[in-house]
Amino acid sequence: MDDWGQLLIAANAGDSRAYEQFLQTVAPVLRGVVRAKGHGLGEASCEDVLQDVLLAVHLKRHTWQEGTPVRPWLYAIARYKVVDAFRARGRTVELPIDDFAEILPAQVGPDPTEASDMVKMIGMLDDRSANIVRKICLEGASSGETGQALNMSDGAVRVALHRALKTLAFLRNRHVK
Amino acid sequence: MKTDDLIRGLAKDTAKYRPIAELLFPGILAAVGFSILVLWATLGFRADLVQSLGSPVSAARFLLTGALGLIALRVSLILAKPDGRRHANLTQLAVVGAVAICLLVWAYAATPAEGLRMAVVGKTMTACLITIPLLSIAPVAVILATMRRGASTVPTLSGFVAGLAGSGLAAAIYAMHCTEDSPLFYVTWYGLAISGVAVLSALIGSRFLRW
Repeated sequence: MDDWGQLLIAANAGDSRAYEQFLQTVAPVLRGVVRAKGHGLGEASCEDVLQDVLLAVHLKRHTWQEGTPVRPWLYAIARYKVVDAFRARGRTVELPIDDFAEILPAQVGPDPTEASDMVKMIGMLDDRSANIVRKICLEGASSGETGQALNMSDGAVRVALHRALKTLAFLRNRHVK
Repeated sequence: MKTDDLIRGLAKDTAKYRPIAELLFPGILAAVGFSILVLWATLGFRADLVQSLGSPVSAARFLLTGALGLIALRVSLILAKPDGRRHANLTQLAVVGAVAICLLVWAYAATPAEGLRMAVVGKTMTACLITIPLLSIAPVAVILATMRRGASTVPTLSGFVAGLAGSGLAAAIYAMHCTEDSPLFYVTWYGLAISGVAVLSALIGSRFLRW
């Protein structure tokens, strides 16, 4: 529990490695939640919902208050987004989702599921933003390398990435509703 | 896209946000200042504003509306967080409402029967019902805009509380102009104006505060 808090404090202070580790740590837990609540939805769709949740956690990470437990905060975001995502897919969540504590984390298999929504949404971005997101996410380039390839400064790439992620979250909300 | 790829991208975005409380306070101060200025420039303050504060029943207008506004403002900040619903204490808001109703009942009992109608209807009912909502536009807009940067998981309730906060403050501002000192008047009409704004704000919140 407190290790999550430590990671998130470092992340909110701008430590991108701590942040990646935080997201890597919580993703299996959230995947477990999504799968437990969305049986029958299929693994790929569950992965789509999980990515929705992660994007929401990312864009709302400043609403966590240092010194308070991470789990209730994280689960509240997950609960809101999971209900939303299932509703958008024409399903309702029948089970109460307050019992997250009992859910087992789910790891992806050796051949991880690819979610398809995000790629579709990236295609709806403007070309430059889409390039930046593809380079950084799919090719694993740093913001500096991406900047060199696209003839932009490191800072400009970071700003553009941030905007692109916000737009993606907006598009996903609108697209599925 | 694989989730690992997404995580890698998210981790590279190190843009920082300021905590919403830091955004709310300057914003709400500006909005309240603006509304006071608007009232002063249009209707003006009542001539005996300072003396009227000496009368408890008249000063109660500021106390009740101000308390409602400030408590609701605090609750708004809590509701703007994902797990805010579990921490928000709505009882305090209900207490302010209950005190106002007690005051109304007391005034009803204390006012002679022939003066009741006069006291309730007053002379400025329409002005009150129009001005308080107008004065709440700026504060409610600031609160809703700030909450949108948060992550409320109860958008309608959040909008309602934001409306109470903004219109409570607006009613306290309007009280600087209003000369109707009977609780029969102000609990009724201030209350109606505040409720109207809160309901409208709840409707706006149910859409605007989704994320």
